[in-house]
Amino acid sequence: MGHLSLQGVRLRVGGRTLLDDVSLDMLPGELVAVVGPNGAGKTSLLRAIAGFTRPAGGRIMLDGSDIATMRTMQRALAVTLIGSDVETPVGTTVRETIATGRFARRAWWDWSQPDDDDERIVTQALERVGLAEFAERRLETLSSGEKQRAWLALALAQDAQVVLLDEPTSHLDPRAALEVARIMRGIACGTRTAVVVTHDLNEAAAVADRIAVLGDGVLLRFASPQEALAPDVLERAYGISFERIAFDGSIRVIPRGYPTGATLQR
Amino acid sequence: MERKTFRVIRYATLVLAMLAALALGLFVGGAALGPDDVLQALIHPHAVGDATTIVWSLRLPRVIIAAVVGAALAVSGLLLQGLLRNPLVDPFLTGVSAGAGAAIALAVAAGVAAPFVPALGFAASMATALLVAALARRGSGLDAERLILAGVSLSALFSAIVALALLRLGPDSGNAILAWLAGSLASRGWPDLAWAAPYLGAGLALAALAAPSLNALRLGPNTARAVGVNIARTQWLVLAAATLLAAASVALAGIVGFVGLIVPHLARRVVGTDVRASLIASALLGATVVPLADAMARSIVAPAEVPLGVLLAFVGVPAFLYLYLRPSGGARLWGT
Repeated sequence: MGHLSLQGVRLRVGGRTLLDDVSLDMLPGELVAVVGPNGAGKTSLLRAIAGFTRPAGGRIMLDGSDIATMRTMQRALAVTLIGSDVETPVGTTVRETIATGRFARRAWWDWSQPDDDDERIVTQALERVGLAEFAERRLETLSSGEKQRAWLALALAQDAQVVLLDEPTSHLDPRAALEVARIMRGIACGTRTAVVVTHDLNEAAAVADRIAVLGDGVLLRFASPQEALAPDVLERAYGISFERIAFDGSIRVIPRGYPTGATLQR
Repeated sequence: MERKTFRVIRYATLVLAMLAALALGLFVGGAALGPDDVLQALIHPHAVGDATTIVWSLRLPRVIIAAVVGAALAVSGLLLQGLLRNPLVDPFLTGVSAGAGAAIALAVAAGVAAPFVPALGFAASMATALLVAALARRGSGLDAERLILAGVSLSALFSAIVALALLRLGPDSGNAILAWLAGSLASRGWPDLAWAAPYLGAGLALAALAAPSLNALRLGPNTARAVGVNIARTQWLVLAAATLLAAASVALAGIVGFVGLIVPHLARRVVGTDVRASLIASALLGATVVPLADAMARSIVAPAEVPLGVLLAFVGVPAFLYLYLRPSGGARLWGT
């Protein structure tokens, strides 16, 4: 149940090996953050886990089944991916759009409206992301933060074992990012595993159970935030140095080397 | 409850508009028949007389073919716009009209007997779409950009063949080709409809199968895939449906432009972007617009006829431009 296992995964993009020998086991109910520099292969890894692309080597197993060999509908019951490229349909309500998450629960050619079960699950999903009162609003009238929460509701309505999120908090203000992070944390519970790709190392340190740091074409470390965000690991991943500080029983990391106002001639 | 009532009213209005357009098509035409004559002929289909013949063998099939062609083109356009998520796509994108045009021009040049021409056009339409699909293939599915590029390129090639045929052939053959290119329902009857019906039926059935997937595709291809849409299957279904519908329409009525591009936009404005709803609305609106235009085409310079495609362009394009490009309050092209 929600046990995701990557075994020696190799990803090739455009004839070049992007990632090699990635092996990691995620536990049911765990929230895993994937961090690393631009081009490290974070999104490609998510797409492979989602079954969109086949790894060039190794296997991605969910509860003992190879995701690459699953049929589309079966796969959608097991794993879903909310990318950074979700498009906003015009002229449809929030509720109607979130109900799209129930697609894999019926025959693909079925025209019938969502049944009572679907309606209940969609309502619950909207409540969990705090959009219950927005249900009948037009989707295009939502703010960026509200839309991002709507996409999380879509994933909740789909009710897959593994939820993959690609940069869900990018472009959001701190408050909206915090709200999304809280929902994200709530998604990973019970038997459901969540994997989130993020550039915000401190968000990862705050909410993730474990962090996978990608860099140099490999998995540099997969461990608790304390261990994963070690200075040597981050320096190897990003090529810059970081200051670590203790915060709220966890850690935060701050990049060093920013030019400060004082060094500029005013 | 309120929402449901509104929906019923909207569809009822669309159905009534279509019935009104069909009725109008029965009452106007080259021969001067009074409304009484038409009604009498409708009530007594087996009566002997000119009115009965005109109504049952000329006007009724023509009106129904107009409705069928309008519905087929509108649904075909809606499907391709939804699949390629491009509001400027029309049913002839895949080269079905240009391919048929070239085949018909060559057939006329070669002196093929007139009754065989529509079937030849249909076959050429299907062959062209297959060729475009083969060029646009990527993996197990289709690449949207390659599809558009292949369709546009092949259409240009086939249009050149038509132009060449028009230049080289005598005025009689040239006029035959031109009449066909301009779109017309003149001298179409029950046998034509019977011939095209299976293809239209198959096209509509495939369209209905694809609708839920196209609905999910509104969230973008990756999200659609994530919720369980088989993208490749959707692409092939939509291409097959859109091609069957467009090719059968072309065989029935020649090149009737505008309908397949514009009617889907109007439909989305009326019922929203849900593909199931806009598919039904597109079919109803298409079955309204084309019979209406054909009635006008037959009556404004009666007893002569204005080519249907020409009339649709003259009346429809300004209306559409007004709707979408007026300085304030213009509607959005994509969506509602």
